[in-house]
Amino acid sequence: MSKTLTQLEAADFINRSFTPLPRSYGDALVEAALQDDRITALCADLVPPTETDRFRDELPDRFLNTGIAEANMIGMAGGMARSGEIPFCHSFCAFITKRVLDQITMQAAYPNLPVKIVGFLPGIATILGVSHQAIEDVAIMRAVPNMAIFEPSGPEYHAAMVEMALAWDGPVYLRMKRPDTTPAAFTPQKLEIGKGVIRREGSDITIISAGICVSEALIAAEALAKDGIEARVIDMASLKPIDEKLIIDSAKKTGAMITVENHSIIGGLGSAVSETLMEAGIGLPFKRVGINDQFCEGGTTAYLMNKFGIDCEGITAAAKSIL
Amino acid sequence: MRSDHNLKDLEDIATKLRLHVVNMVAPSGQGYVQQGLGAADIFTSLYFAEAKMDPKNPTWADRDRIFLTTAHNTAIFYATLGERGFFDTERLSTYVTDGSELEINSSERLGPFVEATCGSLGQGLSVAIGCAIAAKRQGRTSRFYVIIGDGEMQEGQVWEAAMLAGAKGLDNLCLIVDYNFVQSEGAMDKVMSLEPLMDKMASFGFACQEVDGNDIGTLLNAYDIARQTKGKPSFIKANTIMGKGVASLEGLMFHQLRFPQEVADSARAELEAQL
Repeated sequence: MSKTLTQLEAADFINRSFTPLPRSYGDALVEAALQDDRITALCADLVPPTETDRFRDELPDRFLNTGIAEANMIGMAGGMARSGEIPFCHSFCAFITKRVLDQITMQAAYPNLPVKIVGFLPGIATILGVSHQAIEDVAIMRAVPNMAIFEPSGPEYHAAMVEMALAWDGPVYLRMKRPDTTPAAFTPQKLEIGKGVIRREGSDITIISAGICVSEALIAAEALAKDGIEARVIDMASLKPIDEKLIIDSAKKTGAMITVENHSIIGGLGSAVSETLMEAGIGLPFKRVGINDQFCEGGTTAYLMNKFGIDCEGITAAAKSIL
Repeated sequence: MRSDHNLKDLEDIATKLRLHVVNMVAPSGQGYVQQGLGAADIFTSLYFAEAKMDPKNPTWADRDRIFLTTAHNTAIFYATLGERGFFDTERLSTYVTDGSELEINSSERLGPFVEATCGSLGQGLSVAIGCAIAAKRQGRTSRFYVIIGDGEMQEGQVWEAAMLAGAKGLDNLCLIVDYNFVQSEGAMDKVMSLEPLMDKMASFGFACQEVDGNDIGTLLNAYDIARQTKGKPSFIKANTIMGKGVASLEGLMFHQLRFPQEVADSARAELEAQL
């Protein structure tokens, strides 16, 4: 008569399934912290969604849940960094940049301290809607002196993000995306600060992208190839400092260029590439693909990327429009 | 009153600092006169008696750290640092001149004895708390003093920080509010009252004391009590009088004061007579 119900347990803020998500960033941070006891972690009460649960459980003396108080978190991280620690601060991209810009500039960037600012839910990649979406964070953080910005194109690059954050002797913003599923086996290319990575070769157009748009750009490149257009695809994981040489060389080699980002077309990757091209005196067919200066909405990531034109379909159309 | 300091010596130092404040502000009229004179006893008691520091080694890891989070009150701050030996007092004459590191809002470009660059109000307490947590992690006995402005306590971040300090019982932290009751647009109760401030801070988990912030002996006793308090951060409401120590300026509640030459001369004469 009685049927046993599925055992219910507390859900993660983001993951409602019963299968734990991979924790490639969080694992890499713990591994780094085990090697370097200066590394500490702070989190504004979003522990599993920022993959800091293992750090919390395995290194409790070096972990602090600050409560839902991001401004204080960044200020405290400044103090910890002044005391010889390397604090990694965690929240969602929207809250750890826009909400606390003044604290970041004064307590991390101006004193050039090794405060590592780690945001999850990049751009429109969240069902949680406008309040939780960060489509202007790269623009804002790019304008902050001393700040470096790195964004992985997938979980296979998460460990490299921790390495790069530690290699930059100053404040860093990591724009992270938690994987939705366990990724397929993939051998990542070597990432370096200030270097882009060529993920596909082509001589007709260059597609420069970052983050979750890189895989879409690769799909778009295959679609373009069917129409006889060969695209070079660059993963610009180091958004600042940016690989100016690769941008200029690619422009000269392919003669046309689009940028693709999960961010406003204003102030982010597209702007950075445009600035580089203009100052190098290079004119060429060019288009920025990104959120077109508008607010978005909550929804699944695939739906939103399609609706706002930053998926493979939007990229393919943009490439064709300038050729 | 602690036995290891001569109160009269400390009061003479405070007078000397007040004289610097007058001399620094007089040439340009830029900078805080009233607030500097009012806070001179807090600065003297902390820098010349309470806190452990080594001006020859300002980055000494086990020093006590003093954070001026209301970083506008720089004439008294720089006068204190100079007299304490962090730099030559001759540099005080460059105050707010173009190119000088003695800017109107303090910046750490002056040196590591500016423990954080504040002035965007409400941030210094958080930094001090980060240092206090790190010190406990590292097994250091350092103490962390924060001088905050009363108007500054209207900033939300102060309460985020206070909540955390109380919740974590940071007994190596001592927050001192320079309660002169004036903010940019006038008296605090006219703009937005902080009261009942002692109750608020006690409810946030602080051990609270209210003292005469222009009485060095009383301040030193309050620091003693704070140092002996375990399991809680300390809060000292230091009631100060704007313009303290100069009869013609005492009690004038002006956030910004015009400071013409004849007023400066009379203030200077009055302070010199006290030395």
